[in-house]
Amino acid sequence: MTTLRAFTCDDLFKFNNINLDPLTETYGIPFYLQYLAHWPEYFIVAEAPGGELMGYIMGKAEGSVAREEWHGHVTALSVAPEFRRLGLAAKLMEMLEEISERKGGFFVDLFVRVSNQVAVNMYKQLGYSVYRTVIEYYSASNGEPDEDAYDMRKALSRDTERKSIIPIPHPVRPEDIE
Amino acid sequence: MAARGHVQDPNDRRLRPIYDYLDNGNNKMAIQQADKLLKKHKDLHCAKVLKAIGLQRTGKQDEAFSLAQEVATLEPTDDNSLQALTILYREMHHPELVTKLYEAAVKKVPLSEEYHSHLFMAYARVGEYKKMQQAGMALYKIVPKNPYYFWSVMSLVMQAISAQDEKLAQTMFLPLAERMVEKMVKEEKIEAEAEVQLYFMILERLGKCVEALDVVRGPLGEKLTSELRSRENKCMMMYQRLQLWPECNALSYKLLLKNPDDWQFYLSYFDSLFHLMDKSWSQPEEGEHCVEGPVQTTVTEAVKFVVDRMEEQDKKESRPLRGPYLACLELIHRLRQRGCPDEKELGDPLELMVQFFGKFGDKPCCITDLKIYLHLLPPEQRSQFKKRLGELVPLGEAGEDGFGFPGDTKALQRHLCVCQLSRALGLQHALDTEGKLRLITELKAHYHHGLQFGDENMLWQCLGVLEEGLSFSPSNAQFKLLLLLLFCRLGAFQPVVDLYSSLDAKHVQHDTIGYLLTRYAGSLGQFAAASQSCNFSLRFFHSNQKDTSEYIIQAYKYGAFEKIPEFIAFRTRLNQSLHFAQVRTERMLLDLYTEADVTLSLEESVKAMGVCPEEDDIPWDNMRDNRDLTVLVSWDPKDRELTEEHRRLSLEEESVWLKVRSLTLRLLASLALLGHAPSPRNSDKTNENGISAKSSTLQTLLSQLDQTLETAAQITEKQTQYPFLGPPSSRLASALSSGSCITSGSFLFPHADLCPSLPSSLSPLRPEMLSRCKGEVLEMKDGRLTTRPSLLETLVFFVETVCVVLWVASYSASVLRPLKSSLQKKKKKKKDSSSAMPVVLCGFQEWTGSLQGVVTQALDHVKGQEASLTALKLAALTLEEGYSQTQVGSVQSSYLGSLQELGDLLRKRADSLKSLKI
Repeated sequence: MTTLRAFTCDDLFKFNNINLDPLTETYGIPFYLQYLAHWPEYFIVAEAPGGELMGYIMGKAEGSVAREEWHGHVTALSVAPEFRRLGLAAKLMEMLEEISERKGGFFVDLFVRVSNQVAVNMYKQLGYSVYRTVIEYYSASNGEPDEDAYDMRKALSRDTERKSIIPIPHPVRPEDIE
Repeated sequence: MAARGHVQDPNDRRLRPIYDYLDNGNNKMAIQQADKLLKKHKDLHCAKVLKAIGLQRTGKQDEAFSLAQEVATLEPTDDNSLQALTILYREMHHPELVTKLYEAAVKKVPLSEEYHSHLFMAYARVGEYKKMQQAGMALYKIVPKNPYYFWSVMSLVMQAISAQDEKLAQTMFLPLAERMVEKMVKEEKIEAEAEVQLYFMILERLGKCVEALDVVRGPLGEKLTSELRSRENKCMMMYQRLQLWPECNALSYKLLLKNPDDWQFYLSYFDSLFHLMDKSWSQPEEGEHCVEGPVQTTVTEAVKFVVDRMEEQDKKESRPLRGPYLACLELIHRLRQRGCPDEKELGDPLELMVQFFGKFGDKPCCITDLKIYLHLLPPEQRSQFKKRLGELVPLGEAGEDGFGFPGDTKALQRHLCVCQLSRALGLQHALDTEGKLRLITELKAHYHHGLQFGDENMLWQCLGVLEEGLSFSPSNAQFKLLLLLLFCRLGAFQPVVDLYSSLDAKHVQHDTIGYLLTRYAGSLGQFAAASQSCNFSLRFFHSNQKDTSEYIIQAYKYGAFEKIPEFIAFRTRLNQSLHFAQVRTERMLLDLYTEADVTLSLEESVKAMGVCPEEDDIPWDNMRDNRDLTVLVSWDPKDRELTEEHRRLSLEEESVWLKVRSLTLRLLASLALLGHAPSPRNSDKTNENGISAKSSTLQTLLSQLDQTLETAAQITEKQTQYPFLGPPSSRLASALSSGSCITSGSFLFPHADLCPSLPSSLSPLRPEMLSRCKGEVLEMKDGRLTTRPSLLETLVFFVETVCVVLWVASYSASVLRPLKSSLQKKKKKKKDSSSAMPVVLCGFQEWTGSLQGVVTQALDHVKGQEASLTALKLAALTLEEGYSQTQVGSVQSSYLGSLQELGDLLRKRADSLKSLKI
């Protein structure tokens, strides 16, 4: 009961029901355009039959192939309150993983607020594990440090030995992550 | 700052400190450092440009520009200077100068891949498609890399898209683009997915669907891998355009087997099925099967297909998907539309919906799903349907009040869904007042119960419930939006500011929901807040032009060709935004009303804003309404929902109001410039011509205003009512009924060439306008509150009118003063004490006197209002009536705030009245 299609600029005018959620950031136009220009295939929106937007995922592929760090990254994933508990986020994640598989990524990673237990548990259910903690990754709108993030990862088939997800025991700072 | 070239270059070492200062925002030091460097190395052009950047950033635009031009005329070819100039020109909003820069550079260094590529991007920034096409080819000739070739091809496509003449696009640009790609195909030089995408785009735009299909299905199509289902989606698109229903049907069927929840394919499956049936299409002879596989052509097959999908879900152990069940309802809907009796084989819609509710009733989206199919129920079944659903909601034993409550969140969600559905079925609206009140009590009881796991009097009750709700769910956006709406309707803007800011609306949201603020702030007399709200939006719109161009360039670099027209359309959509035009106009009007003739003269203010009376920069014919008018969730029945007609009417109304405002602004500007005209005695011929040109602009604008007001009157006659949660009405109707100046524009704006008779053509502020403002804005009687926010709006119009009248008067005074002094001189000469003052002068003085009177009355009125508002003993309000002390208090203080701002402004105007003596 969902139409999955590429996110377009016009959707920016319709995504309020998703983005007025306090944990969903509304970025400046350049940020969205950058993703649309560089990784359009990774920006997918789910639309209900009535035309309402249900949720979207925004991601990218990055990292060095030589160092086996080429991977898919989840930049944003959000589902409107009225379309939750339908497995939509899982579906969108599955699509992002499939795209990353095709691109020959070694893993998929994402950052999530340590306090966002609902999200952390969901990612765990989808096969993600905490790779490391990033200290004060999130900051408040006044620039003050706000909260730590978990860097969560899931190995893709190219990483046969699942080396990419071996946890790093010590927390890192945002400036130390690539 | 941009790339700094090679580390070895000694100039880089010398320039580095300047770059660092600029990066750190220390522009003064950057300028000093550059000056120091230039003393030693006169020819270090880049230092000059960096100094110019510093100057530009400290507001010295002219100096910066001439310094930059000094370097630019030398046609530099060093990387540092070029990059720095590029940055400078972009900051100056002169991207077209970057093209000149690199045009010169490639002439001097014709084999530089880098400079050619910069040139291409510079053209892209300003949308010079033809030059981009040439630059792309020039690049390809120097370095035969595929992307360069395809940049050139894409630039042809852009020429086609932007061509005024569609014929030119179809017969010249696109065919040429096609041939360019074909050439590469023949030479087997196609490398990237983007190139195939672009090929497909060209063929599609040419309407060559068969060829496009061949590309997608052929070996080139194998490159389409990034996007999921890219080939299937493209094939489907072409099948639909070519009306290849068998293929469309078979492909939909195939995709649904893989993903039985993807709604778009149900739609294409049903569409194609019925097309095939209408054409009585039959399976061809053996061996000629459709390339996409088996085709279904009968209702029986479709019914079986849908039933099978449902059974598949029923058998599944994991979470069932909603798609198949809704597809079943969709199929019934379509069969019914066709009058096909077979719908019975799918079952009774009532039973199916009850079953659906049984499976998904605890999901929040159950309402949006079922809402679309409620029309399948005949009216007489509605109550029964609600009853059946009720049986599926486990509620506890009824308590004293007769209400039973759900035991867990799933039951709560089900109960909520039944409430939503009965609202959507119109069952709630059908209740009488008593029934409605009982329903409110019931829902409130349910809300309170749910928290263990949330007439005007009704309005206050709503506020109370929402406030409570917000205290339990502090980030619920719907609570905030509803509160915001209710406060606005009550005319209390102050609480709205915090509510809106807690929504954390940013960037594009200023365009989509910014109207919630800007519609009310100014009209309720909260001028400071209004001006701030406009600024938020304006900042967003102004950064848009520069921002978007950069990403158009990126799309070229990454080969996301299909995004290029999309980005351009997006930029246009923002530039043509209704809200953009509104905040632009309102911001300037606000500045004039609150500041002009207070700190600066009207003329200086107008000049500072750069308003030109002759220029109309609003895209009236292409206005885009980007407002999100459904941001408030509604479960109302269909006949109470927002329709396309509502949207059209709202846009029409807002546009006419905007036109009134923009004409008022331009009239004020033309008045200000008239005032600038030298006195007739000293004027020479040219000046006179100047004046008459200006006054003819004034005439044109006045007649436009008259026309617009006529249209406005017609619109307000319609008395369009929008759904409560839909768009707010524009200020048009209240403006017309307030008797504001704008409704009699021609009265107020004098005819410049009729100087002597000026005062008589000036209608003094009509006293009845002030009388329309009288009455208590907030009243308490028998423990109940009554609000009359329209009084505030009328008062705002009154104050705005005072401002306009004063400006007109001050213009008149400037004309009459020389007249008077010349008369006095004559008088002295003649020594004729008996000759009286001419009528015109006496008239003016009498007139300003009466104006003074009206303004004093208005000030007294405002003072009186403030006093009676402050005196209200709100603590006496009983909470049983549903009042919340904090909310009543904030409404009261908001009214006071509005009155204070209005009073302040009136006082300032009263002061400027004094200077009107002649």
